[in-house]
Amino acid sequence: MAVTSKKNKLLKKTGFYIGLVLLLGVMLFPFFIMLMTSLKSSKEAISTSPTLLPKVWTFQHYIDIFNPTIFPYINYFKNSLIVALIAASISVAFGILGAYALSKLKFKGRVTINASFYTVYMFSGILLVVPLFKIISGLGLYDTRLALIITMIVQTLPTAIFMLKSYFDTIPEDLEEAAMIDGLSRLKIIFYIIIPLSISGIVSVFVYAFMIAWNDYLFASIFLSSSENFTLPIGLNTLFSTPDYVWGRMMAASLVTALPVVGMYALSERFIKGNLTEGGVKG
Amino acid sequence: MKTIAKKKSDIKLALVLLLPAILLVLLLVAYPMLSNIKISFFDQPINPRLPADFVGFKNYSDIIKDAAFYKSLGLTILYTVLTVIGSTAVGLAIALFFNRPFKFRKTARSLIILSYVTPSISLVFAWKYMFNNSYGIVNYLGTDVFHIFKNAPLWFDNPVSSFLVVVIFAIWKYFPYAFISFLAILQTIDKSLFEAADIDGATLWQKFKVVTLPAIMPVLLTVVTLRFIWMFYMFTDVYLLTNKVNILGIYLYQTAFAFNDLGKASSISVILFIILFIVIIVARKRVNLNGSN
Repeated sequence: MAVTSKKNKLLKKTGFYIGLVLLLGVMLFPFFIMLMTSLKSSKEAISTSPTLLPKVWTFQHYIDIFNPTIFPYINYFKNSLIVALIAASISVAFGILGAYALSKLKFKGRVTINASFYTVYMFSGILLVVPLFKIISGLGLYDTRLALIITMIVQTLPTAIFMLKSYFDTIPEDLEEAAMIDGLSRLKIIFYIIIPLSISGIVSVFVYAFMIAWNDYLFASIFLSSSENFTLPIGLNTLFSTPDYVWGRMMAASLVTALPVVGMYALSERFIKGNLTEGGVKG
Repeated sequence: MKTIAKKKSDIKLALVLLLPAILLVLLLVAYPMLSNIKISFFDQPINPRLPADFVGFKNYSDIIKDAAFYKSLGLTILYTVLTVIGSTAVGLAIALFFNRPFKFRKTARSLIILSYVTPSISLVFAWKYMFNNSYGIVNYLGTDVFHIFKNAPLWFDNPVSSFLVVVIFAIWKYFPYAFISFLAILQTIDKSLFEAADIDGATLWQKFKVVTLPAIMPVLLTVVTLRFIWMFYMFTDVYLLTNKVNILGIYLYQTAFAFNDLGKASSISVILFIILFIVIIVARKRVNLNGSN
């Protein structure tokens, strides 16, 4: 009796792990294809009887994408990095200030402001494309990285405030009162108490904003027209539309493009409790 | 006395702290929203320096008479419904599967979420490659190895198969959002409820219906509503994958930037906005859209 139930349990467990491996295999299959194609020769990549693993392993595509005479990848990467870093930093900075006001200060209109930020979190994107295009070109910002930076700040700020507010809400008020009695001003309280206590939340919000800016294709495609200003999504897509794309190179570029955001996500997942994937973030 | 003084200083400080956020949102969200309505009544040239002509409701009547609009609207609804149901169902199923202690649980969870955090642009190339007509692995497996298709489908050359690929892509990319949300709420369900149901001899389905479903209901409604809104105005994923599936986001984008008809594009935005607004008003009564449970 005891033996069969033990056997049953083992069987169930084995079944579970087989299921898990199959599940991960299916869900991660496109990533596997990406990686393997990036390591195949160009000829092998377009073979009509494809093999899972490369017959001949090559790192040439990775070397090529970092060679500016072959592929403008470094330039695109640099543009993306500038846009995402600046947009995410400003979004976090403004977000901290706004979230602090909404979380800790009592004033009329707090609920309304909070609700309107939340509405913005659900909208935007394609709905605002036409007027934003008009505004940006009216300001003379067409084909500048600044246009993209400003748009990305606005796209991420409401969510940043929303997420940070929920972190700040968990900080007990006694702490602040004690600091006030010690004579700390509100601004000092933000710097010395609020920020250090919610650093993990701040990092998560930064990662979120960075991701949105890094991944954006829509606004880059309407605001940028010259190739030297292109960010990665629009740059890679433009290269793909030319007849001389090389699959292995595109795959290598895709993987390296994913690396910063996936890396940030993995680090925040590992070191931060209650990170962005737990709050249910827009995407 | 003291509390009054404190209140006064609070609103001033609050306004100062909120100023950058409010200004930016007013300038680049609220004003554009209103501006959309205004542009929708004009024949707006793409060059902002050229004057726009007032045309009344012409843009709207053009859209209402445009067969392509109804086709696009129908396609968008189908796309949204299929991807919302698909991604929610897959996310829930995998969350139920994960809702037990096992080795490498954290690693497996991180790996499952990978499609959600990777930029669309990276994923799109892999999918285009996999579904390539002549050397893609899908046609190789489907035709040469497993003989599922008689003739290799030309995936991206045909509207129906393109639509299929776009839907599967969206389910694959977005199920982790539902998965994370469900896994979090599943872990809060009291295990003794299941034990009690076991004693009563409940089947797996009965346990799901009586214990699990009511517990996850608020999260389910939130996930479905938000995903519905986001999928309804989807642009990037579909645009990057194929030019054969003209959902509303793409119809709008092309009207604006391929046909340079900004006025008509604005009226499409207004119509989209009205539809979404109705969805939100209806959902608001039943759904806690603040995401906090």
